[in-house]
Amino acid sequence: MKLPIAWLRDYVDISLSSDEIAERLALLGFPVDAIERRPKLSGIVAGRLVKVEKHPNADRLSICTVGVAAGKPLTIVTAATNVAEGQTVPVATIGAKLVNLDIAPRAMRGVDSEGMLVSADEIGLEGAWFEDGILQLEPTVPPGTDFVKAYRLDDDVLDVEVTSNRVDAMSVVGLARELAAALGSVVRGPDTEVALTQGASQATTPDTSVTLESADCRRFVAQRFSNLTVRPSPFSMRLRLALAGQRPIDNLVDISNFVMLEIGQPLHFYDFDKLAERRLVVRDARPGEKMTTLDGEERTLDPSFLVIADGERAQCIAGLRGARDSEVSASTRELLLEAASFSGPRIRRMSLALGVRTDASTRHEKTLPLALGSLGASRAAHLLQREGATVAMPFAVGAPIEPPAPIRVSAQDAHRLLGMLVTGDEIQLALTGLGFSLERDGETFVATPPEWRNDLRIREDVIEEIGRVAGYDRIASAIPPVFDQAVSSAAYDGERRIARALAGVGYREAVTFALQPASVRETYERAGIPLPGEVVEVTNPLSEDQRYLRFSLLPALLGLVRRYEGDMPYRGFEIGHIFFGAPDPLETAAVAWVCAIRKVPDEPAWRDDGFLAFKSDSLAFARMLAGTDAVTVATRHGEFHPGKTASLSIHDEDVATIGAIDPRLLAAYGIQSAAYAGVMRLADLPAYRVPRFAERSKYPPVERDLALVVAPEIAAMDIESAVRAGADGVVASVRVFDEYRGPQVEAGKKSIAVRILLQRRDATLTDAEADGYIAAISASLQERCGAVLRS
Amino acid sequence: MRAFEFPDVEEDEIGRLGDDLSALGERFEAALASVDDGDALDALRLTFLGRNGEITALRRSIGTLPAAERPEAGKTINEAVARLEAQLERASSALTNRELAAQLDVAIDVTFPAPPARTGSIHPLRRTLEDACDYFQRRGFAVVLGDEIETEYYNFDALNIPADHPAREGFDTFYLANGKLLRPHTSPTQIRTMQQHPPPIAIVNPGKAYRRDAVDARHSYMFSQIEGLLVAPGIHLGHLKGMLTGLCRELFGPNQAVRFRPSFFPFTEPSAEVDTTCPGCGGSGKRGDAGCKTCGGSGWIEIGGSGMVHPDVLRECNYDPERVSGWAFGLGVERIAMVRYDVDDLRVFFENDPAVLAQLA
Ligand SMILES: [Zn+2]
Repeated sequence: MKLPIAWLRDYVDISLSSDEIAERLALLGFPVDAIERRPKLSGIVAGRLVKVEKHPNADRLSICTVGVAAGKPLTIVTAATNVAEGQTVPVATIGAKLVNLDIAPRAMRGVDSEGMLVSADEIGLEGAWFEDGILQLEPTVPPGTDFVKAYRLDDDVLDVEVTSNRVDAMSVVGLARELAAALGSVVRGPDTEVALTQGASQATTPDTSVTLESADCRRFVAQRFSNLTVRPSPFSMRLRLALAGQRPIDNLVDISNFVMLEIGQPLHFYDFDKLAERRLVVRDARPGEKMTTLDGEERTLDPSFLVIADGERAQCIAGLRGARDSEVSASTRELLLEAASFSGPRIRRMSLALGVRTDASTRHEKTLPLALGSLGASRAAHLLQREGATVAMPFAVGAPIEPPAPIRVSAQDAHRLLGMLVTGDEIQLALTGLGFSLERDGETFVATPPEWRNDLRIREDVIEEIGRVAGYDRIASAIPPVFDQAVSSAAYDGERRIARALAGVGYREAVTFALQPASVRETYERAGIPLPGEVVEVTNPLSEDQRYLRFSLLPALLGLVRRYEGDMPYRGFEIGHIFFGAPDPLETAAVAWVCAIRKVPDEPAWRDDGFLAFKSDSLAFARMLAGTDAVTVATRHGEFHPGKTASLSIHDEDVATIGAIDPRLLAAYGIQSAAYAGVMRLADLPAYRVPRFAERSKYPPVERDLALVVAPEIAAMDIESAVRAGADGVVASVRVFDEYRGPQVEAGKKSIAVRILLQRRDATLTDAEADGYIAAISASLQERCGAVLRS
Repeated sequence: MRAFEFPDVEEDEIGRLGDDLSALGERFEAALASVDDGDALDALRLTFLGRNGEITALRRSIGTLPAAERPEAGKTINEAVARLEAQLERASSALTNRELAAQLDVAIDVTFPAPPARTGSIHPLRRTLEDACDYFQRRGFAVVLGDEIETEYYNFDALNIPADHPAREGFDTFYLANGKLLRPHTSPTQIRTMQQHPPPIAIVNPGKAYRRDAVDARHSYMFSQIEGLLVAPGIHLGHLKGMLTGLCRELFGPNQAVRFRPSFFPFTEPSAEVDTTCPGCGGSGKRGDAGCKTCGGSGWIEIGGSGMVHPDVLRECNYDPERVSGWAFGLGVERIAMVRYDVDDLRVFFENDPAVLAQLA
């Protein structure tokens, strides 16, 4: 809310600068979002227009004789048309500084002007909100009064944030009270003195009534005013409203707004003469009940709306909007004031349903303390009486104002929670300043919160008040002891291991958004890529681009591949949650890593060096995770090429799937390069096993290469295991290192080259022994793989 | 017996051997002078000292000497051989030194660009999150993760935010068709952990959260939080200030201070916003002559919210507020990362430009 410091000073004496006030408020829990600096003005005084004459040489100019103090009146020429004799107006004298304007003597059409009469723009106010012409001051202001000082025009305006629990502080008085408590000074209450109508019985108001038919109106204070004259408010009120961001309208509307901003209690004024049966009922709206609101819109209501109706129809949607029927206007002579407290949740629901949010509803939806209603009504009564109204006795229906329940708190309690020492005297000072009433017994207090607070229920609430006023800066830092506990960090540690391992093999981590447009799913569907399950939808997205939760990490990574394809090769990964399934979506923590490289030109279809390079990255990654080498086995995965997909298996468990991205998906994403990806569920992350040391054989190995012809479906893995089976315990390593298909090999076959390292652990292998093992290996290859040795 | 076959060798035979050796020595030196590489040196060695070299020939001639003179002759030859070998050794090491000196005598342009190393990196947001978690793990905190789809109970009710509480509005939550929601804060994980583990409990729970905020330079509908929770007997706000001060020093530097400002959260009482010294200006509010853009001139940056866990929340988790007390805090990872990396538009973190990721790695 906007807090004009000029207004604040009505209630508390402060000698701090704007920045210091802002700092102080922030440390009380009311951060200041912005400080609106007011223009620096000087040389302006109040002046009385003694005489106003037409300029002899200019139709549109007037020559004013202006009394500014004892001594010679000033002659000032003005083009304003709203000047008349007897008015009190601000006068910028020679040398005055206004907004973008310094006043110097000048002749206007032959008449020397000794200054300027001031309008709103020239002192930094919104021109459209004030007189079309010269500002009109209260006639009671003595001529010569320093205008800037009297109206505190050089005080800045603070934009203060008030937390939702402190509706009482959404007001000038509330914030003044906070500052006073913190500064140890006294807060002045707003003037509520009023002379009630004589004669008529003050205990009742016989010619009207308010009936509560819904418990969602907790309390309703009503008061009648008569003999009203609708006119502009005094300048001091208009100024305060304008600084607070509220446009001045007329004295009735202004008083209603003024009280809300000052006390925090929104008011509603009904033109009493327009109320059918001259009574009010608070009730649920009838189905289909219509009401035209102040903004001219006809609203169709239903029973979810709480309304204030007269004898016939709804005249106000509670806390939100009044009806045009009973709106106060220039002809209003009698009014009925409403100062109510409604159920905050109900008002909030209505506000959402209606799509209307006002300064009043933001207060009402926090459930106003009951005490504020009476305070607001009496303040309005004072102000209306100042405007000449006759004031009737207020009356209230609904719950009585009950004092909040007392709360026991001690200095030790405060110390135990805040970790700072606070003395009993400090507690007394802080709580008294905030309006608590206290019973003290040494360092222990029974504290009764002020009736305007509805956020203080338990001891901890009161301790916070003590800490706030004493200052959280007094809390001393301490390091807590380490506690023995059983909570595991395994999932986090797993993510951390994965991220570090992938970074270790050269992949860069990405973080992408989890909400996606429908086009992602549609792209998969068009490309014939199966979805893992029903795509999960957010029911209240901000935009269509963010309607669906990601069902896979790959679309975003493929988006990055396409976007950064120029920076070949692209290696990236993401760890995140994916979602699919209905009606209860399955949420899976997963990781995906992607590598995109330039396609190898003229590479035969049965060969894919890019896949192998990616596989070696993936094996290195898996090795870091598990401390064991992974085994690859052909498998299928929806997003991968059906013939270029493998599972990574560790300790006989499939932990991840790697493969070439399905070319249809690449085409759909417009990716030119060859792209590969691995996917893993974090739940499948293998445990790291510390590798065991195996001593190297001291005896030299014998290396033999074999060339084999086999059927194309025979995998390298089959050949390697056949080799090992043929000479168990002697094969130190076996590696298929070449594959060939083509005219050099008989049709329907492929040629394979395999390098075998034979080594004994106990003796040097002789050539004859090696020949024997190779023969056995060849036999095993023949038997298990149908392999024929090429000469 | 061979000694007796040559009984009458003349004395001047020895003298002739000496002459031959000195002539050989002169020839050797002359040849050595023109040697300028290892191969020529090896050739020279073979010519004089090789199996079929000149010295071998001279040795053979000893056989023609009288037996009595042969030892003397052999010694003479051995001495000559030692001289030659010493000279060869000197020449060889001179040659080696010359070659090494020649190697030293070149300079490359060390500023010539190197081919890029293949490096990966973790994301700056994860780095920031891990740095924070590391700090807490070193002090006995466990790190707990949780699901992003949550129920209203864990997200709101258990945290003392009943339906229609005005604070719910501030969360701007995304909902799913089954009535569940995308968690707008990571606090549900704290409730779940407390409900599974009796006190004492010391955890940090980082993770992603979602709120209905349009993405701009300072906002994102998806963001990361790090929350912390410590509940045990005798825990107070001073312990929170101590831990957060340590954390800020870990994240931003050794001179960081932490300031609490009172605030309101339904799940903590008392509650406080957490500010730390602005690392952009060291708390002065100024950078050079201009105001500090990081903190808007205040010298402080807000990094999150905190407070003492509300007794209602403790009770909801079957913790006895008369026996234990505790604090909780929540920090915004993006905000911290923006300050650490001096990034003023958080979208940078979600663009994942490899060049930027490399720069921030
Ligand atoms: Zn700064």
